[in-house]
Amino acid sequence: MPSNGDLSGDSCTWSGTGLVTARFAAMASPCELLFDDATPAAVRALGEAMRAEAARIEATWSRYRPDSQLARINRAAGGGAVTVDDETAQLLDYADTCFRLSGGLFDPTCGVLRRIWRFDAATGEPPDQAAVDALLPLIGWQRVSWRRPAITLPAGMELDLGGLGKEYAVDRCLGLARAAGMVHVLVNFGGDLAVAGPRADGGPWQVGCWDDLAGDPAGGPRWELRSGAIATSGSTRRFLMHRGRRYGHILDPRRGRPVEDAPLSVSVAAPTCSQAGLLSTLAMLQGAGAEAFLRAQGVRFRCLRDGGAESAG
Amino acid sequence: MQLNPGPGGLRTALAAATSCLLGGSAAALEATSPWEVDARLLYYGERDRVSLVEGAAQVTWDRGDDRRLGATIIFDALTGSSPNGAIPTTRAQTFTSPSGRGTYVTPANEQPLDTSFHDRRIAVGLTGVQPLGETLRLSWGLRGSSEFDYTSLGAEAGLERDFNLRNTTLSLGLAYNLDTSKPVGGVPLAGAFIPAFPGRKLVDGTSDGKSVLDLQLGLTQVLTARSLVRTNLVVGLESGYLNDPYKLVSVVDPLTGELDANPDRRYRAEARPDSRLRWAWYTAWQQGLREADVVRLSYRLYSDDWGMVSNTVDAFYRWQFTSRQFLEPHLRGYLQSAADFYRTSLPSNQWPAEVSADYRLADMWTSTVGLTWGIDLGPRSELRLGAEWYHQKADPSEVIGVQSRQTLIEAVDATMVRLGYALQW
Repeated sequence: MPSNGDLSGDSCTWSGTGLVTARFAAMASPCELLFDDATPAAVRALGEAMRAEAARIEATWSRYRPDSQLARINRAAGGGAVTVDDETAQLLDYADTCFRLSGGLFDPTCGVLRRIWRFDAATGEPPDQAAVDALLPLIGWQRVSWRRPAITLPAGMELDLGGLGKEYAVDRCLGLARAAGMVHVLVNFGGDLAVAGPRADGGPWQVGCWDDLAGDPAGGPRWELRSGAIATSGSTRRFLMHRGRRYGHILDPRRGRPVEDAPLSVSVAAPTCSQAGLLSTLAMLQGAGAEAFLRAQGVRFRCLRDGGAESAG
Repeated sequence: MQLNPGPGGLRTALAAATSCLLGGSAAALEATSPWEVDARLLYYGERDRVSLVEGAAQVTWDRGDDRRLGATIIFDALTGSSPNGAIPTTRAQTFTSPSGRGTYVTPANEQPLDTSFHDRRIAVGLTGVQPLGETLRLSWGLRGSSEFDYTSLGAEAGLERDFNLRNTTLSLGLAYNLDTSKPVGGVPLAGAFIPAFPGRKLVDGTSDGKSVLDLQLGLTQVLTARSLVRTNLVVGLESGYLNDPYKLVSVVDPLTGELDANPDRRYRAEARPDSRLRWAWYTAWQQGLREADVVRLSYRLYSDDWGMVSNTVDAFYRWQFTSRQFLEPHLRGYLQSAADFYRTSLPSNQWPAEVSADYRLADMWTSTVGLTWGIDLGPRSELRLGAEWYHQKADPSEVIGVQSRQTLIEAVDATMVRLGYALQW
């Protein structure tokens, strides 16, 4: 969960009949629930439950909340083992699998780099190499002792499940909709989205990618989605410009610096949002090899590079 | 991406991990149980020959943090008759029983079988695994078995080390066994003639022993979340008394192939070398398919300084046809070449220092077809029922004269039935 967020609030707005939309903010992102062939009265209870689930996930695993599971683990770094609940254990197992499958490229301990890399302004100074070097010893999931249900973090290290949390929330919320027997539902948390099934008329959902960059929500490329999920990783919004050089916010845990030659944005389609999110993140981490990596995976993707070069597969 | 062997490999692995995360796998949500009991019953029967009934129980205590302790007890009972090594002939043959106190007769044209074959064996074992730091594990084991004419004691220790983000495991193991054989009627003098009853065989004491040292080097590599390869190399040295005290070698006329005319010079006790250096290389590949199916393929190459070389190919497919039941067909093929000193019968003008007519040392192939059915009887108990059909064909080293009218080594057909039950609590 990237930040405690300026979008947080208690309001949820409902609009439309036929296609009912609920909008709220969670996990520092604008969130959107779409229910096709519905009335606000019929889906309000489900929508509220989905919103509560998103809030619960944020509260439980945000590293910014002092009472979260993650904060508890991070506070104990350098001390003893922390025993976690089953759901946290599943997330940690998943993070562990992602770490191993990616050969260490996906590392849930690389959040410490945010202390020196700030991407909230379009201009600023990249950190000193000495500062990067000082933090590198604090990165490396292999140094964390994780044996269900106990985790021990070496001193100075931090865990951040932000790279997984939003997609996990999308999948969980969609699970609630499915459990309620709703099929014509789309869940979109800050551009990471999934659908339970097609629209009420059997047609696909029209989904835009990186629309914010084009500045024209209707003008960007669109995907048709009947099932599954799409997740987007990218630095179209979060980046740092310094002396004409663009630093994306995807950091390479091995070097402690933004990935070189990374695409501006990668969108990937996969059966679940968690899978799509991880594949898009891993593609960004490949830098110049992002497109080749995605092709090898045999997934549907869109990749946008500087100068507007775009590739799809 | 070092772990991306083929197109979509990572995607497949991720799908499995994600389904676990999102609760697709109920097992992942179950708290693990510290105790597990495994009980099994095995029946093995060779047509017209030996049959074996074996019961085994194993208790494993998972103490958490990769620490495990296990105890095993096995009991088996063997009955029936087993080939004594002599060849079938056109006349009935009379053999002195191993005790030297009586005789048994094999009718003409039949494979001589020692009908007094029966034994009971009890074996116990203790095993343990203990981590030594984050990526290093120590395993150990102690075992012993006893039957009325044989005892065996063994100990083993191994180290396992994880590398490469725990995707690679290297193991090193050492095992030592000390066996004592106390044959009925004494230890036959190797290679000596066994005179006709009531003459007594020459003996060399009442017991003898052998030691076995095995060194194993293993490598396991996780390829994707659903596939891995395992390979290991075992080098072993056996030394001491390596004969089967109950096996004979027929001594025949070099031209006619008939048993020697002198009844006191028709059979000799076998005489194997007193050491055996062997090595085996084993490789297995395992791949998860679909939801919960698994395919396993393995190959083993064996060779020793007795001149034997063997090849084994094994294939399993576990088909999870419902969420609680699976069927696992199994095929195995085995081919071996004979030991240098294997002789189906020994011409009377030859006096090799080493000789054995044990068909298990002959040129041989075997095939096995099996099917296992398993069912989950609840979240923590599983029942397995399996059957295997085994066929074995061995070839004589030499067919002399009239022997061509006999089937010198009969094929063996055997059936195995296994019943297993595992329970966690």
